[in-house]
Amino acid sequence: MFRRSYPELAVVSHVLKDDREDFMVRREVTRADFTVYREHDDRTAPFPSRKGRGHKNRSFDRRDRRRGGHPGGFGPGPRSRLLDDTDGDVTMSDSSQDSSSQNRFTPYVRPSRKPDGRFDRRQMPGGRGIPGGGGRRERSVRNRLGWYKVTIPHGKKYDKKWLITALQNICPVQYTPVQYHVDHNRAHFYVEDSAAAGALRKCSHKITDSDGYKVELHVNPSNPPSFLQSDLKPEQLEHLKQCMAKRFDGSQQALDLNNIRTDPDLVSQNIEVILNRKTNMEAVLKIIEENIPELACLNLSNNRIHKLDDLADVVTKVPNLKALNLSQNELKTDRELDKLKGLKLVELWLSNNPLCDHFKDQPAYISAVRQRFPRLLKLDGCDLPPPIGFDVETPTAIPPSKGSCFGSDEIKALILRFLQQYYSIYDSGDRQPLLDAYHDGASLSITTPYTSQNPSRSSLGEYYKDSRNLKRIKDSTMRFRLLKHTRLNVVAFLNELPKTQHDIASFTVDVNTYTNTLLSFTVSGVFKEVVVDGKSRESTMAFSRVFITVPAGNSGLCIVNDQLFIRMATTEEIRKAFVAPAPTPSSSPVPTLTAPQQEMLTAFSLKSGMNLEWSQKCLQDNEWDFNRAAQIFTQLKAEGKIPDVAFIK
Amino acid sequence: MSACPAEQAQCRAVLPSWNKHSSFHSILPPRPAASSDFRTHADQSCRYAEEFVNIYYDCVDKKRRNLTRLYLDKATLVWNGNAVSGQDALGEFFESLPSSEFQVLTLDCQPVHEQATQGQTTLLVVTCGMVKFEGNKQRFFNQNFLLTAQASPNSDQPVWKIASDCFRFQDWNN
Repeated sequence: MFRRSYPELAVVSHVLKDDREDFMVRREVTRADFTVYREHDDRTAPFPSRKGRGHKNRSFDRRDRRRGGHPGGFGPGPRSRLLDDTDGDVTMSDSSQDSSSQNRFTPYVRPSRKPDGRFDRRQMPGGRGIPGGGGRRERSVRNRLGWYKVTIPHGKKYDKKWLITALQNICPVQYTPVQYHVDHNRAHFYVEDSAAAGALRKCSHKITDSDGYKVELHVNPSNPPSFLQSDLKPEQLEHLKQCMAKRFDGSQQALDLNNIRTDPDLVSQNIEVILNRKTNMEAVLKIIEENIPELACLNLSNNRIHKLDDLADVVTKVPNLKALNLSQNELKTDRELDKLKGLKLVELWLSNNPLCDHFKDQPAYISAVRQRFPRLLKLDGCDLPPPIGFDVETPTAIPPSKGSCFGSDEIKALILRFLQQYYSIYDSGDRQPLLDAYHDGASLSITTPYTSQNPSRSSLGEYYKDSRNLKRIKDSTMRFRLLKHTRLNVVAFLNELPKTQHDIASFTVDVNTYTNTLLSFTVSGVFKEVVVDGKSRESTMAFSRVFITVPAGNSGLCIVNDQLFIRMATTEEIRKAFVAPAPTPSSSPVPTLTAPQQEMLTAFSLKSGMNLEWSQKCLQDNEWDFNRAAQIFTQLKAEGKIPDVAFIK
Repeated sequence: MSACPAEQAQCRAVLPSWNKHSSFHSILPPRPAASSDFRTHADQSCRYAEEFVNIYYDCVDKKRRNLTRLYLDKATLVWNGNAVSGQDALGEFFESLPSSEFQVLTLDCQPVHEQATQGQTTLLVVTCGMVKFEGNKQRFFNQNFLLTAQASPNSDQPVWKIASDCFRFQDWNN
């Protein structure tokens, strides 16, 4: 018996009943890391607990065998499902040993060991470095290291810890799950032990999840998990990147990775890039994603690629990919193409893959490929007939949005003047003078959209308590209370609202209707809440306000209905707001003045005491008739209708 | 439209409904209303507004072809700054818009002062919400309507019609 001593190891013996009610002992040596050892007893091969064992007298103290102690092992009978190349490949030197086991068959799976505990996949199992008895056999590396991949079809939704614990609780065989990962909806992990694999397989549908579904498990032999395969180190990755850069044609946005393994640059540096390896493919995709994400053509021919799982990320990482060459690889079925669904390929090469032979004729082949890539125009270098669609195109274009819609220039002037006056008072800090703007029987209500955050804490809090939203407020008394009626109530209410500063330059005005007696328009824009005594935050808000007005006095407007909607401004709106200088009386471009006009302006300003801007406005409105302008000015001044702003120089 | 006082007394109890009936009788007479009348007026307006909004947005989403029936012949629509006027133009315009999914988040209304309408019963309805036009991203919008009571050839009672409609995406400028 061959023994070594490994101080950090623990030996765990498990007595198990296999499915034929025979006992089996498995001893397992475990370490802190996730690698599972077999005890250094060379008879402790993981015997698959298969059917047809034909063993009778087994107990677990069979360590007295000549060959150094079978711990009650047994063969799986004539055939092991899991290790199906063992047929005829058995050196059954122990067949002579135990006459009671007729059909004993010991498929040795001897992972080779290195002191650091990692499995060197390049070594043959039962191979070098492990002295011991017979029973060694040569096997091909691939798939024969005893690794199994456990797949849970809908495992993505499960919490890893919950799932692993649940499985370990019900699985009679102890195992260590290796490299748990999720891909699409599935969860996977590896186990290195055929007994565990078998036991796990039986655990399928034994656990019920929180939704009431039974957890399904599929267990299949597989290549060792990729962590065991060599990863590329940073310097190597850099070389790879350089190598790829050389193979990149910027003019075509094309990358040629044909037979990349034999690239002299890589070979000379002893860097092995084998694209059928998950880590290598991932490294390549990462380099593409980081450096040339707009890649349009990718040639992966001649890289021994047998599955496209690792290439699936290309759909999201290289969304512009239009041409893909997968010829001369080892793709076995067209179902592999499902993993690339979402790629809007126009050109595809698949020739010289085993899958090509699976189709009864060319049209079937084309059809299968086109199912995954409906826009494909070229397959294996041949043009395909263009796909025929259905003309169920429904219009998706919406008319382009425009700015203010006034309807006529007079209306425009009227409204702009009104807004200028209204908001200079509104922003002045005392809204009392607005009484003049409202009709006796005027109505006002405000609305703010519902926010899920605590309304009083948000900036809209000031407005929220007075918000009239019939979708939320159903009580008719409340509804009535929130509608301010008569100008006194209206203005009193407005005066309580936070102090504001409106960006008149940002206003958009849509004229809804106008008749002899009614002018209704909608104004939208942004305003800032002004910080007063450090109480209110300076927040930028957006509003939409409907004014319904009747004509008043001297080409003025009198508000009968006022509905104000306020919301938080978006970042875009905040960015654009208040870019223009502070509001001026004139929103239309100021025409250049002639010399006489200039003179008149100065005189008028002097006489009236108003600043140049307001003086100019007054003169313009009165067609540069000095006397008339003066008359109007005097009259309005007497009526107290000229805001103080006008006199600020 | 006006009703004689006798009819008015009879109809006051009738709950207003959208489609065919508008018992605007209870809203008249058009003299300056005492506050209790204003209260009644305001209450009823709310109910009309709620009903209107249900009908309107359902029509836009599911019966787009019938939408123009809700508008006055000479109604005006300003849609993101585009002015559209008259039944024919409105019909073409609505036809050209992709199919929609509207969701109304806020609703408010006010009875419009008679001085502006010269006695013609008018209602201001203001909404905000989200809309997804097919093939486009979802957007927030603000919309307001002026509804006016009109005689209907299909019924002996007045119906509400949209006299003006103003619609804008909140981010129309982006």
